[in-house]
Amino acid sequence: MEQDNESKPSLGLMALGALRHQVVSITIVMLLLWVILWWMSPYFLTVNNILEITLQASVTAIMAAGVSFVIYAGMIDLSVGSIFAMAAVGGGLAYHWTAKAEFGTGASVLASLAVTIAIGAAAGILNGLGIVVFRIPAFVVTLGMMGIARGIGFIICGGVPIYGLPKAYTEIGQGKLGPIPIPTVITLILFVAFYFVLRNTRFGRFTYAIGSNAEASRLSGIKVNFMIPMIFLICGACAALSSIIEAARLGTMQPAGGNGYELQAIGSVFIGGASISGGEGHIFGTLIGALLVTTIRNGLNIYGVSAFWQLVANGLIIIFAVAADQIRKRR
Amino acid sequence: MAKLLEMTAIDKSFFGVRILRKVDFDLESGEVHALLGANGAGKSTLIKILSGAYTLDAGRILVGGETVDMSRHSPESALALGVATIYQNFHLIPHLTVAENICLSDFSTGGKRWVNWGAMRKKAGKALAAIGLDIDPGKKVRDLRVSQQQMLEIAIALNANARIIIMDEPTAAISQRETENLFDLIRGIRARGVGIIYISHRLEEIRRIADRVTVLRDGMNVGTLAVDDNLSLGAVVEMIAGREVKTGRRARTTTLGDEFGRVEELRVPGYGDPVALSVRAGEILGITGLVGAGKSEFARALFGADRALSGGVYVEGRRVDVSTPSSAIAGGLGYLPEDRDASGLCMGLSLKDNISLTALAKSRSPTFSVRRDAQLSGRFRKDLAIKSVNANQQVRYLSGGNKQKVIFAKWLAAECRLLVLDEPTIGIDVGAREDIYRLIEDFVGRGRAVLLISSDFDEVLALTDRLLVMSRGRITAELDPDKTDKPEIMSYCLGVNDRSVRHAAV
Repeated sequence: MEQDNESKPSLGLMALGALRHQVVSITIVMLLLWVILWWMSPYFLTVNNILEITLQASVTAIMAAGVSFVIYAGMIDLSVGSIFAMAAVGGGLAYHWTAKAEFGTGASVLASLAVTIAIGAAAGILNGLGIVVFRIPAFVVTLGMMGIARGIGFIICGGVPIYGLPKAYTEIGQGKLGPIPIPTVITLILFVAFYFVLRNTRFGRFTYAIGSNAEASRLSGIKVNFMIPMIFLICGACAALSSIIEAARLGTMQPAGGNGYELQAIGSVFIGGASISGGEGHIFGTLIGALLVTTIRNGLNIYGVSAFWQLVANGLIIIFAVAADQIRKRR
Repeated sequence: MAKLLEMTAIDKSFFGVRILRKVDFDLESGEVHALLGANGAGKSTLIKILSGAYTLDAGRILVGGETVDMSRHSPESALALGVATIYQNFHLIPHLTVAENICLSDFSTGGKRWVNWGAMRKKAGKALAAIGLDIDPGKKVRDLRVSQQQMLEIAIALNANARIIIMDEPTAAISQRETENLFDLIRGIRARGVGIIYISHRLEEIRRIADRVTVLRDGMNVGTLAVDDNLSLGAVVEMIAGREVKTGRRARTTTLGDEFGRVEELRVPGYGDPVALSVRAGEILGITGLVGAGKSEFARALFGADRALSGGVYVEGRRVDVSTPSSAIAGGLGYLPEDRDASGLCMGLSLKDNISLTALAKSRSPTFSVRRDAQLSGRFRKDLAIKSVNANQQVRYLSGGNKQKVIFAKWLAAECRLLVLDEPTIGIDVGAREDIYRLIEDFVGRGRAVLLISSDFDEVLALTDRLLVMSRGRITAELDPDKTDKPEIMSYCLGVNDRSVRHAAV
């Protein structure tokens, strides 16, 4: 028996083993929810509405994918909502500046995208450096960044939302690949890529190791002080990418945008089975978590529950997801 | 008049291991009674039973002639009986003032709702004056020197009407001059009829301050002596270490090669003197000493876990950068930490992931093959006979011995050359211990070298090719395990003049 386990670490078996605990159970919860919603409104379980949910979920899912790395490494990032706004606004300004120089629309859009991602990545690195250089908890550093990024977002655009995006930009959010919305495609590609990174690269293994025991990781030769800024870089870049999707969908960049998004992103990761103390979690759990958060929002929308109550629901979800993790641990 | 304290036939076992066997201990009023013994001899267990931290299995305790109800003995009831312990790590609250710490139980409110600052200061001032301690009661405790904090603890104990004060290594962290002040204080409170149980590894101090000395060895009281001019420190050392025949050396056929690793003048943070040593290919070099001798600190500095102040480390002729663990590992070093749970393993990760972690950190490629990784860890799991459900089991569920084997496998997988082991068999059962010894022997058998740090004299005597003794951060002796014995090692650990020990041993 044991022999078999060792000599045949078949990919399917191992994937199943990893999925067994968190991802499967959360998927079942989500499907149940879908059935309930379908029972209440036949409209819910149509292909169109499901695709609509994946489209709506893409912004939360992409942001949550980045936050996953941080949480797997045993830390937290509260600044993603603010980085989202700052990066979007920065990218919007970059578009209009380059558009004036008339390099062509395509070049301007690319410049805008690059600037957005770069701002997100830079803010993430600063978060990470703050943690390793000053040796202060991620909670504090990212709380500070939450204010800083939000403020800078307002400062650089003078508080005025940015409009006038070309079709080449908005297509990222509004276009379709066959019947599938482009944001859904981007989300899927990103998650598959992150699945590979977390499973098959040193970076991924080290992320979990640091979350499980940072000191043991350091004594095993992992450069923890390099890893942490890189982990936050991914997180910041993902926040920026999600802001591109949203800007493209809405056709505008808002300095007040992304407000409270960290709540949904962090909630998605915990619903997906990540442990608050780090070292555990599956990236597809995060994806399902984001879908679940969005489904609840979508369902509440259908039944006309106010956005204010949706905030309450989001907050409750985080608390219950982490409580479930704690109960699982105590067992 | 009844004795201040009588402990009779104290028995205590942990998990079936007998720690104390029918230990008798007594203390007179106005006496300083030193308690000596090697690591694990049972000193702290005995003290913790007296102070209510542990229960006892059998035996009787009388305080002031009255039998203590051991079924209800607790830290609180011990304090009520007047038993106070001054620990090495202080029980004070650093952010509060001296006065607040002295009056911590009730803040001098006299049962009322409001804190009476004036009364508190007055009470504190009296408590401090009672032992001639000149500290401003309004000062925050964190601003006091270590020695002042210690004396403050004594003042608090006396203020709570302590009759028996237990001091555990009180001079370990304070200077020579502060030690003199402490001794003056001890003499002062002794004159007031308080009894003091004094635990220390420093025999010279005991000669100066103690009235009697009791030695524990392997959980037994091996003798109580009066401290007078006739007391031979050599005899005390022998009592601590035991005269028993040496345990057999393990048979090993290794021919030692040339110099393999070298440490040049490594200055360890917190210790004054630099340490230098050299180890040959195929050699197990032992470093022993008592707890607090600086062995672990040396190991951490050697591996880059803490940054050394200066010095050089060479493995196979090449200089190794030991500024960080990652560069030390790149240079061929490996390190098995003393607290394997806290800094050796990622508890939530699988056996497999733990084993491959170091090798992964050492490799250059950003990706790796999950399959080869599983094969590698599967091989080590089999070779090292690690008992687990499978390679995907989280290491937190493994036994101590199997956890240690996982750490060993980590370093084997990383192809480390010079392995530094810090207390590799502490808390590990006999069977697994044998496995660990065999792993160490296999490791050096392939032309590599091991630094074995251990405070277990039997272990270093049985296993090492050469033995260094460390005391207060310095190497005080280099011994041949074939030609030395525990009393001799102990004499170097305690910093006693070796000549006097030799005379006593004859």
